[in-house]
Amino acid sequence: MSNENMTEPVVNENQNVSGLDDFEPASAPENTAPAADSLLDFDDDPLSATGVSRKSLVIFFLIDTSGSMKGKKMGELNTVMEELIPEIRRVGEADTEVKVAVLTFSTEVRWMYSTPIAIEDFEWARLRASGVTSMGAAFKELSLRMSRNSYLNSPSLSFAPVIFLMTDGYPSDDYKEGLKELQSNSWYKFGLKAALGIGEEANDDVLAEFTGSKDTVVHAYSGTQLAQMIKIIAVTSAQIGSKSMTLSDDSGHEIGEEDVFSAKQKLLGQQIQELVSNKVEENDVPFDTGW
Amino acid sequence: MVELEIGQEVEMEYGGSAKVLSVIGSGGQGTVYLVRFNGMKWALKWYDIDKMKKPKVFRKNLQNNINDGPPSNKFLWPKYLTKETEDGTFGYIMDLKPDGFDSFVDILNTYKLEIDPLTGHAVKRPVKFNSLSAMVTAVINIVNAFRQLHRSGKSYQDLNDGGFFINVNTGAVLVCDCDNIAPDGSNFGIGGKPGYMAPEVVRGIAQPNVQTDKYSLAVVLFKLLFRGDPMEGEKVVRDVCLTESSELKHYGQNAVFVYDPNDSSNRPVRGIHDNVIKFWRIYPDYIKDAFIRSFTTGITEPAKRIIENEWQKLFIRLRSEIIMCGCGRTNFSSMFVQPNAKTFKCPKCGMEFASLGFSDRDYRMPLYLGCKFYDCEISADSDDFTKIAGELVENKLKPGVLGIKNCSERKWRAKMPDGVFYDIAPGKGFPVWQGLEIDFGEIKAQI
Repeated sequence: MSNENMTEPVVNENQNVSGLDDFEPASAPENTAPAADSLLDFDDDPLSATGVSRKSLVIFFLIDTSGSMKGKKMGELNTVMEELIPEIRRVGEADTEVKVAVLTFSTEVRWMYSTPIAIEDFEWARLRASGVTSMGAAFKELSLRMSRNSYLNSPSLSFAPVIFLMTDGYPSDDYKEGLKELQSNSWYKFGLKAALGIGEEANDDVLAEFTGSKDTVVHAYSGTQLAQMIKIIAVTSAQIGSKSMTLSDDSGHEIGEEDVFSAKQKLLGQQIQELVSNKVEENDVPFDTGW
Repeated sequence: MVELEIGQEVEMEYGGSAKVLSVIGSGGQGTVYLVRFNGMKWALKWYDIDKMKKPKVFRKNLQNNINDGPPSNKFLWPKYLTKETEDGTFGYIMDLKPDGFDSFVDILNTYKLEIDPLTGHAVKRPVKFNSLSAMVTAVINIVNAFRQLHRSGKSYQDLNDGGFFINVNTGAVLVCDCDNIAPDGSNFGIGGKPGYMAPEVVRGIAQPNVQTDKYSLAVVLFKLLFRGDPMEGEKVVRDVCLTESSELKHYGQNAVFVYDPNDSSNRPVRGIHDNVIKFWRIYPDYIKDAFIRSFTTGITEPAKRIIENEWQKLFIRLRSEIIMCGCGRTNFSSMFVQPNAKTFKCPKCGMEFASLGFSDRDYRMPLYLGCKFYDCEISADSDDFTKIAGELVENKLKPGVLGIKNCSERKWRAKMPDGVFYDIAPGKGFPVWQGLEIDFGEIKAQI
C-alpha cells in the first residue's frame, strides 16, 4: 500500500467536510464466513475473551531542544513530562489505546523512540538542549511519519492524533515550507493541534499558523507557568482526543456534518482558554496586596 | 472549576462537614473525592458547574432523587447534598464502592492497571468472570436494575460502561453514577457516551429517555457478552480515522448492526473483532435474535426495543442452559450434541446429561452435578432469580448417587423409583432417575 494519498495536497475548493476518502482504506477486511466446522474446531469457551478492540490515539509531542532551551526551561520540561505520563495513562480507559511519540528538533530532528510507545510502557528519556531551531524540518519529518505505513499503522480504528508543539524561539529554517507539507496530510488536518510558546522569544503567530487558531496557543513566561501549561494542554487534548464526542446539543434540529466538523478542535480551544484564564487569575497579584 | 484541596472541609446541607482525604477520580462532570463525614468514609462527587447547563435544576433533581431513595440496593445512590457555595458550586456524598467489585471498564479490558507505589510502573492484573454462571447472573442483575429504575418512572440517561461495578465471582452488580437519573421525559443536559447513545440522540432529534435507555442497555449487554461494539464492523473500519463526522454517520445517521441479517456491509473484521466473531457462534439463537431485533428494527423504532422483562426472561433461560461438564468444558446446552430431545452430550469427552422439562416452558434444563435452579423458575408468581430453589447434589451417604435437594422453603412432591409420589420437605431430596416427576405446586417438571 502506498502513502501517496496521505501526502498529496488534499485541500479542495469546496471544503469537503467529511474528507474521509483522504485516508487510505484499512487493510482489506477478510471474509468472515467461518469454514465448515464442528462444535469443537475452535476455542468455544464463553469466558475466554480478549480485551475489547480499542481505538488508538497517538499523541505527538514536538519539542524544541535548541540551545536557548538550556537550563531552567529544559529542567522544568523534563520534570513535568515525567510527571505527566501517569496522568495521561488514566484518560484512555476501555475505549482507547494511547501511544506517545516524541519528536525533538534543534539542529537535527530526532525521535525519542523509533516508534510510538504505549502509554503504560512509556518512559521519559530526559532531553538536553543545544543547536538551532529546525522547526520546518520537524514538520516535514512529522508529516512523513503520520501515515498508515509508518507511525499510524494500528489495524483497528484510530482517533485523529494529538499534536502538541513546544518551542521557545523563532524557527531558524523555512518553517512555512515544512508546514505546507504538513497541512496536506489528512491526519494533521483532522488532528488536535495545540502549541505552547515558552518565554519572550517564541512567536505566537507562527504557533497559531501551526494549530490553525489562536485558541489553542498558550504562552508561558515562568517555570511554574511552563509546568502548568504543559499539563493543561497535554491532559486536556489527550482527554478530548481519546474519546468520541457527545455531539448532540439542545439545538432542537437534526445535526449535520457541518455542525460536527472539527468540533473536537473547537472544544479543545475553549477548554484550554478556560483553564488558562483560571490559572492566570490565581497567579495575578492585585496591585494593592503584598505590601 | 473549583477543585477541592486535601484536608478541606466541605459543609453539608443539613449541618456537619465532610473532610476531603484524597482524589478518587474525575469525569466529565466533576471530580470524586474520598471524604470523612460523621466518622465514616464516603465518596463525594464535586461538580464543575461551569460545564452544567442548568445547575439549579440539576441540584433540585438530585434532591428529589435523594428524597425518593434508590429503586433497590443495586444502586450506589446519592445520599446527602453539600451546602451550595456562594458561586453555586455543590456536590453530594454517596457510599463507597465495596471491596470485591470491579469496574465494567476493567472487565471489558480483561485487566486492570495497578500502579506500583514505589516505582510508579503500571502492572496489569487480569479481571475475568470466574464462572459462566456468574457472568450470566451479572447480565440478569443489570437488566433487573434497569427494570426497577424504569418502574419507578425514571430513566438513567447516560447508560455506559462507566456506570457499573460487578463482582466477577458472584455476578452481583452495583449501578453507580446515579446523579443524572431523572423522571422519564426530563433531561438536565446530559447527552450520553458515544457508542452507547441511541441513534436518535446522536442525531440530535431526541433527548435521553426510557426508550433510549433501552438501546443503551442493549449495547451494554452486547459488550459484556460479545466483547465488542455492535456497530463497529467493516463499514466503520474502512474510515481508518474516526472523525466527528464518521461518528455521526456510523452511530447516528447510518448505524448498521454488525450481524444485520439483511445488510452485510458492516460485518466484524477478523483480526480486529475476533471476540464478536467467536461469541456470535457460541450464543443460542434466541439470544442472537434479541440483539438482532434491538439493533435493526430497534434503531428506527424505539418502541420495538426489547423491554427489560423480556431480557430478564431470556437470560434466566440462558443461565438454566449452562452445562458444566466433568471434563472441564463449560458451555450453553446449544453447544452440546443432542443425541435425542432429552439428552445432551459433551462433544469433547462424550459424557451425557439428562434434562428436566418444565410444564410452563418449551426448553429443557440440563442436569449436572452442582446445577441450580431458582425460585422464579418453580413458582409462577416469583420474580426472585437469586434465591436458590434446588440443586443437583451427590448423596452424602450413598456416594455416586445423584439427586435434587429442595433448597426452597416449600414442600414439593416427587415420584420415587417405586412409582409413588412422596412429600419432599425443605432440606430433603430425591434421586434423579428415568421416570422422575416433580410437582412444585403450580409448575411441574419431569425427566
